[in-house]
Amino acid sequence: MSERLRQHDNVVIQSLAQIGNCGLFLLALLRAVPRSLRYMRETVRQLWFLGAMSLTIIMVCGLFVGMVLMLQLYHVLSIFGGTSASGMVVALSVYRELGPVVTALLFAGRAGTSITAEIGLMRATDQIDAMEMMAVDPMAYVATPRFLAGLVAMPLLCCVFCAMAIFGGHLVGVTWLGIDNGTFWANMTSVVEVRTDIVNGVLFKSLAFGAVVSLIAVFQGFTTPPTSEGVAYATTRTVVASSIAILALDFVLTAFLM
Amino acid sequence: MTDSVRATPDDSTLVRIRGLTTVLNGKTLFDRMDVDIPRGKVTAIMGPSGTGKTTLLKHITGQMRADAGTIVVNGQNVPELPREQLYKLREGIGYLFQNSALLTDFDVFENVAFPLRQHTRLPEVLIRNLVLLKLQAVGLRGAARLLPSELSGGMARRVALARAIVFDPMLILYDEPFVGLDPVALNQVLKLIRTLNHTLGITSVLVAHELEAVKQVADHVLLIANGKVVAQGDPRTIASDGSPWTRQFFGGEADGPVPFQYPAEDLGRALGFAGAGK
Repeated sequence: MSERLRQHDNVVIQSLAQIGNCGLFLLALLRAVPRSLRYMRETVRQLWFLGAMSLTIIMVCGLFVGMVLMLQLYHVLSIFGGTSASGMVVALSVYRELGPVVTALLFAGRAGTSITAEIGLMRATDQIDAMEMMAVDPMAYVATPRFLAGLVAMPLLCCVFCAMAIFGGHLVGVTWLGIDNGTFWANMTSVVEVRTDIVNGVLFKSLAFGAVVSLIAVFQGFTTPPTSEGVAYATTRTVVASSIAILALDFVLTAFLM
Repeated sequence: MTDSVRATPDDSTLVRIRGLTTVLNGKTLFDRMDVDIPRGKVTAIMGPSGTGKTTLLKHITGQMRADAGTIVVNGQNVPELPREQLYKLREGIGYLFQNSALLTDFDVFENVAFPLRQHTRLPEVLIRNLVLLKLQAVGLRGAARLLPSELSGGMARRVALARAIVFDPMLILYDEPFVGLDPVALNQVLKLIRTLNHTLGITSVLVAHELEAVKQVADHVLLIANGKVVAQGDPRTIASDGSPWTRQFFGGEADGPVPFQYPAEDLGRALGFAGAGK
């Protein structure tokens, strides 16, 4: 029994140590930001890989989320004769919750894993050590550009996701189910507020999620054991830790921002 | 830094290590070890696997901190150097990794140009000329646009060597440069090490296990075992100095000062025989 308790304690201590190390890594990352400004080309290159290359999955998923949301809402609201409000509800759901959260989860799966795997393989093949030996700071050249690119890409991707979701909702609601086009847009624009829904909901949340996902991905890549198994585990940990962090942070942010 | 280990840049010793002590995972890797690397010579570091030869190179470059001791490179005590000065020192040191460590995103040309682009503001024409000259020196000018994945092991090592010498360093560290090379590639790398040392006067330190190759290229050999330098001297005569360490290492004996068995509990006890090991 005491052995099991000790093992349980070890897991808790290791998890806390991991969070502490991640915090220290964030400090090192932020300290490296001024040095990384000379590698702006690398940051732009990463922005292309992490942002532009994620556009397809974000657009397709946004479209389907909006479409299925409208279908469900139309079915439920028709019971109460309130189908004209479905456009408004789709917009609020997407801006406040689904947009930032689903975009962040997709970003963790698409971009977070690629960051971790790339840095992990660079470590396993001594490329990080080679940079150190060429007097090039890997924190400034490898870690910070990816972190900054993730930070910038997430809000932009979230905006694209939201736009596609509204388009999907319009496609199903107006084109297919016959909701009046004017009612759809009028109800939506009368309820959606720029500060509460767009700034706090879309931009602020997605910025926070982008920071968390990028930090976890870069941290896992840098601290992975330099083996193929180590890289595989680190990639898995990126998805698991990012998903939990996104949902937990979403609750905290919603509680404070509402 | 004490007076006894202070070195000046014109000293005949480029790297002077005193009292180096390193403990890794409870195992003492170096026990107050002293090492001198002469300037302008090729020094080979040999020893059984796991004795810390690569770790010693990492101490010299400041990639890894020792528990105690001084490591003076060209008059600067590496463990005491702040980050900026350590990076400045590293610009004068070339390091050839065992697996070449080429940047896989870049082609051969960009790999060699990488240090120049990071540390200088040279015009593109000059960078191009410098890179092509270095690639010509290692015989791979024609491979400038190949990706690292398209190179053989020997070619990758020569590209890494071109990258290591792009700043004309004072010191090159080779970590097992002969491993996995066919006889042709091995001779090409040997020739390059000799040429760089003789024509440019670069001090070279190589970690290797191949005595025949070391005999062809090295001026001085250090045999490391048990946390100390157990033998050193001319590569052509060191094998016959008669000590148990050199006899076992160069004679390839399975058992000796380096035991065949990894330390373990008594076999009888491990197999569960009652009273075994008493």
